[in-house]
Amino acid sequence: MEIISQLIVNSVIAGAIYSMVTLGFNLIYGTAQFFDLGYGVLTAVGGYAVFYFSKMLGLNIYLSIVLGVLIAGLIGFLIEKIVYERLRKQKASSMVYMVTALGVMTLLQAVISILFSSQFQVFPVTINANTYQILGGVITGVQLITLIISILIMFGLVLLLRFTKFGKAVKAVSDDVEVSKIVGIDTDSIISKVFFLGSAIAGLAGILVGFDTGIEPTMGFSLLLKGVIASIIGGIGNIYGGVLGSFLLGFIENFGIWKISGEWKDAISFAVLIIFLLFRPEGILRKK
Amino acid sequence: MEILKTKGIAKHFDGVHAVDSLSIGFEKGKITGLIGPNGSGKSTLINLLTGVIKIDGGLVVVGNNEEIKRLLPHEIADYGITRTFQDVHLFEQMRVLDNVLVVLTKRNVFASLFETHKKFHLARAEEVLIKVGLWEKRNELAKNLSYGQRKLLEIGRVLAMQNGFGDDSDIFFFDEPFAGLFPEMRKIVISVIQDLKQKGKTVILVEHNMDIIRELCDHLIVLDSGKLLAEGLPQHVLSQKSVLEAYLGE
Ligand SMILES: Nc1ncnc2c1ncn2[C@@H]1O[C@H](COP(=O)(O)OP(=O)(O)OP(=O)(O)O)[C@@H](O)[C@H]1O
Ligand SMILES: [Mg+2]
Repeated sequence: MEIISQLIVNSVIAGAIYSMVTLGFNLIYGTAQFFDLGYGVLTAVGGYAVFYFSKMLGLNIYLSIVLGVLIAGLIGFLIEKIVYERLRKQKASSMVYMVTALGVMTLLQAVISILFSSQFQVFPVTINANTYQILGGVITGVQLITLIISILIMFGLVLLLRFTKFGKAVKAVSDDVEVSKIVGIDTDSIISKVFFLGSAIAGLAGILVGFDTGIEPTMGFSLLLKGVIASIIGGIGNIYGGVLGSFLLGFIENFGIWKISGEWKDAISFAVLIIFLLFRPEGILRKK
Repeated sequence: MEILKTKGIAKHFDGVHAVDSLSIGFEKGKITGLIGPNGSGKSTLINLLTGVIKIDGGLVVVGNNEEIKRLLPHEIADYGITRTFQDVHLFEQMRVLDNVLVVLTKRNVFASLFETHKKFHLARAEEVLIKVGLWEKRNELAKNLSYGQRKLLEIGRVLAMQNGFGDDSDIFFFDEPFAGLFPEMRKIVISVIQDLKQKGKTVILVEHNMDIIRELCDHLIVLDSGKLLAEGLPQHVLSQKSVLEAYLGE
């Protein structure tokens, strides 16, 4: 019984982290219409920014978090402005986008490694050192905060998209870029703001992972892969689908390794991905 | 006064001169019919004037001062220019109501970030949807509408469009708005166009049905192979031999 509770807790926490990555990824995929494989590295940008401000400069941890989120957002925004906006103007093929995104990822990872070494790092302080018991499972304070933040982001995003004019414009751009232009929406401006928002969310996810387990320059790639798998399971481009896929993936991974070694986690995720690609490529929630 | 003019505007698609150094103007407050055989360049001209495709040569003059070489589609709306497409373009995954509400968005995105739709936006959207007979369908997804309803929704969206000052648009291009519509729906579109004229708006209407052209238009421009073939009052133009030949010869 206890082990099941613990597995549930672990699954939910994994789902919460994945859902943040997936939300940002889907948002960008929806508006800019390409698979941004470079997106994951922004988690590392957020994480290392906090590491830099809190450990190397000795700033207050909460201030460091705010700065980390903003810097991740800003870097995402700049990448879009400097790189992807040009590709759009040139009507680049999806292959060009793919290679470029991989280039961006490699570049940022390399810069982080040069500045901070590729060693695993931890933050100097934590935001909540308590642990709590839930139904016999143990959840750390950081994990609890992660869960709460991911839920807040999810609802915040849904409200933003549903009720604000910005949200309507984002939906319009996701639906049809050409029509959006003709009705007067500055699509480049919307897309760059979406990049800021999505990247800031990735940064925050990276920071939370940092508090939970620590950071390394390549942390983004596995998070991105999980985000992509969750998006595909849930239905690519669909916000609710992405969240559903994230939690489902969290559960499948953690219950999958119940009786076997934890090394199997990634193999299980990819097996699930392949099953979905073969039998339900449109995902759970995507309407055809 | 000519509210919109072209000076030697041109567009070619590898070898085909779709619009061939064309100089024409549209009178403010009038309904101008833009006619010509299939492939004569009517839609291409609209695409040029609304920034959907790039101008190869020549100029566009909006109002009486601005000479423009390059139009960006999202800036067209600020000039007060709006259009429908020959093959309807909608936000397919959005509700009918949202298809109209979205164009009531402030174009300054920072201003719009946390702004929600106000009562008067909803009221405006309702007014427009009632006008085109789609208020009952407001919660349907656009992609689930019938062909005629889709055309009407696009027209509704055009009516809701605002220029850079937040007023209704000034220049309306309709690319074959009547094609494939049932008679009741045609009546709606005719009344929309007549209302626009009453409000002093400028309308450019592409249409193949000459009865409708005669009924609505104050002025006609006839294109053939991307060039100006004839222009003038409808009754004069439609009795010209060259115009008849162009149509019969197609
Ligand atoms: N995107 C394009 N690529 C290549 N050729 C094009 C393109 N758009 C238009 N053309 C060509 O340009 C010419 C003018 O086409 P256009 O669609 O403007 O004619 P139209 O007057 O609107 O005809 P219709 O009455 O059939 O709608 C045609 O020869 C057409 O084949
Ligand atoms: Mg046409």
